[in-house]
Amino acid sequence: MKRIRQFKNPLIRIMKLSFVHLLWIASFSTITMAKDGYSQEILDKRITLEQHNVEIRKLLKNIEDMTDVNFVYSSASIGAEQKVSISARNLRLSQILDEIFKSRNILYKIYDNKIILTKNKFRLMNLIKPPASPILNAFDKVVKGKVRDQNGDPLPGVSIVIKNTIKGTTTSADGSYSLNVPDDNTILIFSYVGYATTEKSAGGAATLDIVLSQDEKSLSEVVVVGYGTQKKSDLTGAISSISPKDYEEQPIIRMDQILQGRAPGVQVINGVGGPGGNVKIRIRGANSIQGDNNPLYVIDGYVGGDLFDLNPDDIESIQVLKDASATAVYGSRGANGVVLVTTKKGSLNKSVLTVGVNYSMQDMIKDWDVLSAAEFAEIANKRSIAIGATPAFSQTQIDEFRRTGGTKWLDEVLRTAPMKDYQIGMSGGGGKTTYMVSFNHLDQEGIVLGSSLKRYNLRANINSQINKRIDLRMNVSATRRNSLNASDNKSAPLGQALMWAPTTPIRDANGNFIKNDPTSSISVNPVALALDLKEHYFNTIGNATGGINFKILEGLTFDVGVAANYTSSQFRGLRGVTINGTSASAERNFSEGFSLQNTNNLTYRKVFGGLHSLTATAVYETIAYKSTGFYAGASGLIFPGLGYDNLSLANTVSTSAGYSNNGLISFLGRVNYAFKEKYLLTASLRRDGSSKFQGDNKYSVFPSLGFGWKISEESFMKDLTWMQSFKIRGSYGVTGSQAIGSYATLSTYLSDAYSATAPFSNSTLTPGIILGNPANLALKWETTSQLDLGADLSLNKGNIEIGFDYYIKNTKDLLLNDKLPDYVGGGVITRNVGQVQNKGVELYINATPVQRNDFHWDSGFNISFLSNKVVDLGKIDTLFTGSNVGGGLATQSEFVLVKGQPMGSYWGLTYLGVWQANQADEAARYGSVPGDARYLDLDNNGIINPKDYHIIGTGLPKVSLGWNNTFTYKSLSLNLFTQGLLGFDKLNYTYAVSISANANAREATLADIRNYYRPGNENTDVPGFSKSNKNFVQSTRFLEKGDFLRLKNISLSYALPKTKSKFADIKIFLSGTNLLTFTRYRGIDPEATNITSSTDVNQSIDLGTYPNAKIYTAGVTFKF
Amino acid sequence: MKNIHKIIALSFLLLATGCEDILSEDPRGALTGTTALNSVEGLEAALTGAYKPLTITWGTGFATAATVAVLMGSDDLTTHSGSNKQDFREFDQLQVTGLNGRITPIWSGCYKSIQGANNIINNYKNTAGDASKIKQIAGEAYFLRAFDYYWLTRLWGKVPLITTADFSSELLSVKNAEVKEIYTQIESDLNNAITMLADKKRDVGRSNKGAAKALLADVYLTMAGWPLKETAKYAEAAKLAKEVIDQKSTFGFDLVPDLATFFNNTVAGVATSEEVFTLHFCGSCQWFTANALYGSSAMPSDEGGWDDYFPELNFYNSFPEGLRKDLTFHTTFTKAGGVKISWQEGQTKHPYYAKFRYTGGLNTSSTNSSLNLLRYPHLLLIYAEAKARAGTPDAQAYEGLNLIRKRAGLPALSGLSNEEFIKAVINEKSWEFAGEYTRWFDLQRLEMIEQVNTGKNPGDLKPAPVLSKKIYYLPVPNKDVTVNPNIGN
Repeated sequence: MKRIRQFKNPLIRIMKLSFVHLLWIASFSTITMAKDGYSQEILDKRITLEQHNVEIRKLLKNIEDMTDVNFVYSSASIGAEQKVSISARNLRLSQILDEIFKSRNILYKIYDNKIILTKNKFRLMNLIKPPASPILNAFDKVVKGKVRDQNGDPLPGVSIVIKNTIKGTTTSADGSYSLNVPDDNTILIFSYVGYATTEKSAGGAATLDIVLSQDEKSLSEVVVVGYGTQKKSDLTGAISSISPKDYEEQPIIRMDQILQGRAPGVQVINGVGGPGGNVKIRIRGANSIQGDNNPLYVIDGYVGGDLFDLNPDDIESIQVLKDASATAVYGSRGANGVVLVTTKKGSLNKSVLTVGVNYSMQDMIKDWDVLSAAEFAEIANKRSIAIGATPAFSQTQIDEFRRTGGTKWLDEVLRTAPMKDYQIGMSGGGGKTTYMVSFNHLDQEGIVLGSSLKRYNLRANINSQINKRIDLRMNVSATRRNSLNASDNKSAPLGQALMWAPTTPIRDANGNFIKNDPTSSISVNPVALALDLKEHYFNTIGNATGGINFKILEGLTFDVGVAANYTSSQFRGLRGVTINGTSASAERNFSEGFSLQNTNNLTYRKVFGGLHSLTATAVYETIAYKSTGFYAGASGLIFPGLGYDNLSLANTVSTSAGYSNNGLISFLGRVNYAFKEKYLLTASLRRDGSSKFQGDNKYSVFPSLGFGWKISEESFMKDLTWMQSFKIRGSYGVTGSQAIGSYATLSTYLSDAYSATAPFSNSTLTPGIILGNPANLALKWETTSQLDLGADLSLNKGNIEIGFDYYIKNTKDLLLNDKLPDYVGGGVITRNVGQVQNKGVELYINATPVQRNDFHWDSGFNISFLSNKVVDLGKIDTLFTGSNVGGGLATQSEFVLVKGQPMGSYWGLTYLGVWQANQADEAARYGSVPGDARYLDLDNNGIINPKDYHIIGTGLPKVSLGWNNTFTYKSLSLNLFTQGLLGFDKLNYTYAVSISANANAREATLADIRNYYRPGNENTDVPGFSKSNKNFVQSTRFLEKGDFLRLKNISLSYALPKTKSKFADIKIFLSGTNLLTFTRYRGIDPEATNITSSTDVNQSIDLGTYPNAKIYTAGVTFKF
Repeated sequence: MKNIHKIIALSFLLLATGCEDILSEDPRGALTGTTALNSVEGLEAALTGAYKPLTITWGTGFATAATVAVLMGSDDLTTHSGSNKQDFREFDQLQVTGLNGRITPIWSGCYKSIQGANNIINNYKNTAGDASKIKQIAGEAYFLRAFDYYWLTRLWGKVPLITTADFSSELLSVKNAEVKEIYTQIESDLNNAITMLADKKRDVGRSNKGAAKALLADVYLTMAGWPLKETAKYAEAAKLAKEVIDQKSTFGFDLVPDLATFFNNTVAGVATSEEVFTLHFCGSCQWFTANALYGSSAMPSDEGGWDDYFPELNFYNSFPEGLRKDLTFHTTFTKAGGVKISWQEGQTKHPYYAKFRYTGGLNTSSTNSSLNLLRYPHLLLIYAEAKARAGTPDAQAYEGLNLIRKRAGLPALSGLSNEEFIKAVINEKSWEFAGEYTRWFDLQRLEMIEQVNTGKNPGDLKPAPVLSKKIYYLPVPNKDVTVNPNIGN
């Protein structure tokens, strides 16, 4: 990832542009100096001039009239509309220019009797006419032409080099050039800072006009911030930017892969590895105990969009807003950080067709070590004998298992699965209109039998300039996602494959699935689960954002934006006869949501007196959301084959319906002020009104203030050659979170079938109502105040960039779901009582350790440290709000909130290994015998009961890091991307249920059970087989370090330019995802977790989770 | 052209209007407040909601093996000595802690049902409509509340006595009510139910006047024993039981002449005249409306069952031979592939209950079976015992006992001493209701738990080394104690 940064030294730019360009500079830079003497004459001209409050443009015109100099500049670049006052008596032109431009950081240079004004040092350095080469002159073919930018403005100083030589020229002030070339096949390379380097064949024609388009780097100089744009160098907030350059070497199918490991302070956990599985994204930790901790996603201005259904190929840039200075403009929705996504636009006069195909194979990242059927049977028999039961297996059966091998359940439900990703994109433009159209299709099968994902994305972005004052824009996108059996839990195929006895066959003699495992698992046949259970989700999103931008006056714009977002989510489920018991059941669930957003933005930009630059923004925004849905379920399907497509042919049909609405009205004001472009200030204030709250709590105000100081601009720093830029930043502000759903202040009855419909006979159900959670009218916003201190540093000619941030976030009035005891009817009551603190440090280093002509190593490293603490829980010190994830296995809530401890603290028993022979007396006190599990008896009362539970670990990762390396040799590129999470524990229930007898499985299937305690094998922590052994899964026996480092991507790509292939730019790549994981975790995937809910009280539990796959990808992209 | 732009701009601006609409909530489709109970239909729906918590499969109430787990300290129930039955074993061995997940379904189901009943009892007077319907609904609510508290106090002793449906934070620090107080409430609720309920049940899964009287008879029998020991209640128990027996046709109660038919109908969920208060389930309707206490739970792993519960060996061995023993127990197991083995060759070396064996489908836990919590033979035996304890058994007491014995294929008894008669009734009860949520409570009120847990068969699990009266009650579920430590026991 690239952090917002400013380039003081142009060299870094050059390197990133092209090596040829670099060579070019190296050869001619000395000549630049030699020219300096000549320029002095013009600059020494003396002028008398008195003008007040006049546009720079006009002033320069006056000077042109008075002297014989000509100025060349881009109005936008130097801010020619800005007004200045000047009073000069017989001053040198250089003195006048210094007076006007020095504070604006605008440089000037003489070229061809013209004075070039620019902000860009490199452009000036490049403005030299190459020496007339006799060799060049020897060529008689001459190519002439003009180089313009996308707006048709001429570009002076563009470098034009004959490929594979150092011969060339630059364009003159009007963008024109003339060059002698050897022949028509000569390739010319046009390059210019901030623009994409373009290669063109000289061809037969004498005239070759070129339009250069801005490259992504230059676009990111101005970054999108909430409700506007801002110069990167002027930011006072903590914002991380990611552009396609940062991830283009990795095959990306989903947006979360872009965010993972690339932005400091952003933690991405791929909890469910299945196709379309859930991902958890947190920016600077979790603030809310009860509420949603997901960041706010703003896609092309639509607030609250769905990140995961975007086509990653459509992305132009992503900004992650982290501190309050950046997020407070989103007020009541900004507390969890904001991810701003901007999609691509077309370029004028540059039509591009891109076609890409990726093909992948996915596989398990690691295998479980399970017992063979024969060994399983032997161990199960030993256990039966030890507890006085009849051994289940005869020697004949065991011999038979040894011969046939029994059932290898894991092999039955796992597979090597293909994945295909197709991309087609077209972009271009003509006249005043540009377009971008793209289509993406992802077709993924999961590594677990029966799971799959299909996704279709379509997008059209159109931008048009109606006239000088009015711009129109319209982005339309549609997504359809269709996922099958992506869920994971203990009753999913993979979880059951570890619980079913290898001695149980898949099917009976008639070919029907064996329904019950007589030996171990109490749940459904894993293969039947994969094939006879259909959990089909269909998600559809249609989004249209459009707007008009009026330039009312110079510097004053009014922008009206409208966004409409339609989502529908449909579930079609079928439980076949095998897994449902006696008959099949099916259900359909449909819901749709529609939101309408209107944003009116008035922005004024002005530079006063050349020293004070001001941008003021006022916004009025409304958003209204409605959702409605219905459900139909049928049990006892008469024709199971018809499945969920015919619900009427069934014994019982049940239906339900629902409705929900909410709305938000917001006023926002923001001022960005810069003095001498050194001292920066951002202040914002937002007032939000929400339908979810009542009375005085309906409205709230969210202020923020940010400061920045570009120390490197100070005169005392200017001479430091090793430091190109240095900025320190500080901000403080308040953001909010609504954290609750609609109607939370109302007390409602539950009327759903599960809660309220009762049977009064063996064939009918009667609908009823039952009291739901008690309401709390006084609910209000959660409020997060955040302090951020940061610095950005660019060293060694821009070869090293370092960024640092420290923050403290305090969230108060936390909405807490106080769990009510069952004796008052259970449920929860929501109150604003809690307080949580997140503190952290973020660091990134981007460097180019090696840069030679044909070899390049770019490296980016970032690391974030997070410390989370529950500060207050109201009247109490300990609170259990989490559900019991291992319900049936473990009877307590696995997570607890304790004042002073982090969220996600594990609650459990400390396991002390097994009782040893010499401890028999002590063991007897607990009714145990040597070999039985031993737990810490906190109150030493001789019984292991709830009082012995305590905090045994934490599931919240303290450190997250990413390290991206790209090695480029000529057209070959090698990318290595490593990502990791450190400092957290995982409760390995998957291991627990397959190594011990428990509520879900009766025997152990894992090979580790070989190490059980028995005479001759006393030195073990695996308990022996006895009647008295007590097995508590919610203990440190199954709590493991979850820390991992993972080689997320390794890829090798080769780029073949159009000039060589003769028909398209071709890029071919091979890539491996998740090939290596360094961890001590005993499960398959330390990243996989059952906890993917939006709240963070519960953290990392692994119970039959769907692991991330190892993926091998080959791909090719054609760019026509 | 310019005008068009203006029009577009204006139309955008128009979208910004109508703000106050945006900030108001419209909870369409949801019921809020007590106005929901203003109509008879609403009151009826609330009553259904008050029954519901008793039957949520795998959730709350009586629908899973937790119902037998909590009673496993008696001699008619035990569990697997290994396997995954750690939580069941704690009950059988009388070493239960608040961590045990099987203690919560009845606790939370009864209290949620109480909340629903409270809501009706406190609001039915404001309901407009057919007075007889309202009376019936309120009567059922009183019955339910009494039923719920009766189970709670027998399992936990002193518990919070909540009679309001509205939440207030004071409820989070209430103290337990004395057992006597709880029984007083139960008595009052049942007397209300008796006056308000109709003679006949509206649905087979509901209560009627006879059920309320029968339950009160059982309550009195219990009050006369441990811990209240109000022996004067024996006479009242006998009086009420007699009323129900004498008016059995009014209430629609009677013995099913053929025991096999009765068992078969129960397993199939077909209502019988023997049901006084029975929870009905519909396993073929929804997975969460099934009776999961029957079926897999009660079956041996040799037949693909879960081995959750089965009788103790001494209980089985001393069970009088005959038709009832044959119908009650399942002793020959058919393994996969058709091999038949005796229970002694089975993995747990125990016989299993045949009466909980679901024949509607193989190895299933989603049964339609009905759960008899009070049936007509209870009344015959309540009368017999109470009458004997209040004085001497009369002819009607002998008749009741012998009706049951006769159906069970046993000879009639006569001419016993008072003590012998009472002993015969208690034994008869244990056999007639083997596994049926009766024996533990008899052992408890008669203070026989220690007795039946000494000298257990070597093939059964050993109880805790030291037994005290503490084991007569279950620990309060830990999750409630963590919120309100006042209610710990």
